[in-house]
Amino acid sequence: MSLGDILDGSDAREVKRRERSAGPRRERRLLRRLLRPEPVFWGLFSAGGFVAALLLPIHVAILGIAFAAGWLPSRVLSYERVQHLVHLPLVKLYLWGLVALPLYHWAHRFRFAIYHQFGIVRWKRLVAVGCYGTAIAGTAVSAWVLLGI
Amino acid sequence: MAEATIAMKVARYRPEHAGEPYVDEYRVPYREDMVVLDALNHIKDEIDGSLAYRWSCRMGVCGSCGAMVNGKPRLTCSTFLREFHPKPAVVEPLRHFPVIRDLVVDMTDFMEKLKEVKPWIIRKEEKPVEEGEYLQTPEEVDAYKQFSMCINCMLCYSACPVYGRDPEFLGPAVIALARRYNLDSRDEGRAERREVLGVDWGIWDCTFVGECTVVCPKDVDPSAAIQREKVATTTDAMLSVVLPHRGGA
Amino acid sequence: MSTGGRPRYPVYVPEYPRSWWLETGPYRRFAAREITSMFAAAFSGLLLLFLFALSRGREAYEGFLRWLKLPGVVALFAVILVAVLYHMATWFRLTAHIQRVRVGRTVLPEGAVVAGLVAAWIMASGIVLYFYIWF
Repeated sequence: MSLGDILDGSDAREVKRRERSAGPRRERRLLRRLLRPEPVFWGLFSAGGFVAALLLPIHVAILGIAFAAGWLPSRVLSYERVQHLVHLPLVKLYLWGLVALPLYHWAHRFRFAIYHQFGIVRWKRLVAVGCYGTAIAGTAVSAWVLLGI
Repeated sequence: MAEATIAMKVARYRPEHAGEPYVDEYRVPYREDMVVLDALNHIKDEIDGSLAYRWSCRMGVCGSCGAMVNGKPRLTCSTFLREFHPKPAVVEPLRHFPVIRDLVVDMTDFMEKLKEVKPWIIRKEEKPVEEGEYLQTPEEVDAYKQFSMCINCMLCYSACPVYGRDPEFLGPAVIALARRYNLDSRDEGRAERREVLGVDWGIWDCTFVGECTVVCPKDVDPSAAIQREKVATTTDAMLSVVLPHRGGA
Repeated sequence: MSTGGRPRYPVYVPEYPRSWWLETGPYRRFAAREITSMFAAAFSGLLLLFLFALSRGREAYEGFLRWLKLPGVVALFAVILVAVLYHMATWFRLTAHIQRVRVGRTVLPEGAVVAGLVAAWIMASGIVLYFYIWF
């Protein structure tokens, strides 16, 4: 008797099968193959990661801790001074980047956290649109707010 | 009998008997220089001939003997029992793969993915033999050498939670090998491989957990290969907007 | 034994645990690292609120400044600061690991790249501090 015969005659069955994740394995639509968005979002994620690493700590420390603790001279965050600073075009551009880029960093990581850590495999495209869409919305809103100052 | 022994707890699964996997415990004579594979061979030779497992070179170059030893993906031929003695050693089949029998796992998925990335030199035109060999400087070899050390042992797949969650993911070893050929100065197939790598279940599914690099017995560092491939793909995509026919790194 | 697809023998496929990221030290640290991105985004939102208050005039702006002094809000910022610093530490270490920096013919060791990134961080923080206080 061969192993094949033994297996054919046994009452063994597959105990459990993991769900294969949704989505076609072959990309058929040519346009989608040419205009892949992943490099763009990964690039933004990476830029956001650098902004968050290099610039966020000092901003959080100053705005969130130092100001409340009274370690800053009182005129530092006075209305007139901040208005004057934010009116400078370079400062506006800098603040726009400071607000928007970490959002893309979050969007990319959160999208994969939902997929890998929370195990939600079914609405991959919807989750991606929701995450990146939030970041894009934040980019637009911050531009609108900054232009209104 | 003062002979030293060690307890081996080995996962068993016999498809010809219906039901769940179970654990068999064996007592094996112990010496300082024994590895897990020695213990498995002793079990098969002297105690229980029905135990099924893969092995070949017994020196860490063939990649056949991968298994979970005390919860970590290891090569059984390179894992010394003295790490665990006097506590028992627990041997289970490589995680994230379907189990055919005992410690033998189904490698079909890995083998199919390996073929997909075309791990061979791709040339637009083959150089005829009369023209001689392809020449490479030591620097050109260094560019890809680390990634060529892969022995296809699949320990990285067992360590990768992304592969565990999503079996569609190409996986660390396959992407590292694709990069090995992309970086080879003799190769001209980067664009072909990019079509395979640049999809959702290719390089972009990786979240740089980094455990694949930690468990690799040959220091291939697949997580670095994947992130560098992401950087290269992103740089190429951005530059191709400005310079349409630029080849990339 | 190339069956090209589903094997024709019964296999055992264990269920993948949903809490895989709680199982080992490295996985837990990975999950913590990913969560820091939420705190970075939280700060983006708070900064946006700051700018929005600024755009609404003096009253709104000074009300926001008073809000910043509340102990609960300071505690939130303290948590954000810890998260962002953990992000910074892991980001620098990972960047140094994947980015090989060549000086002439030698490749810099990873520790040197991390040191360079820390130096860049100190410089950037200094410039920001200058703009806040002395500009």
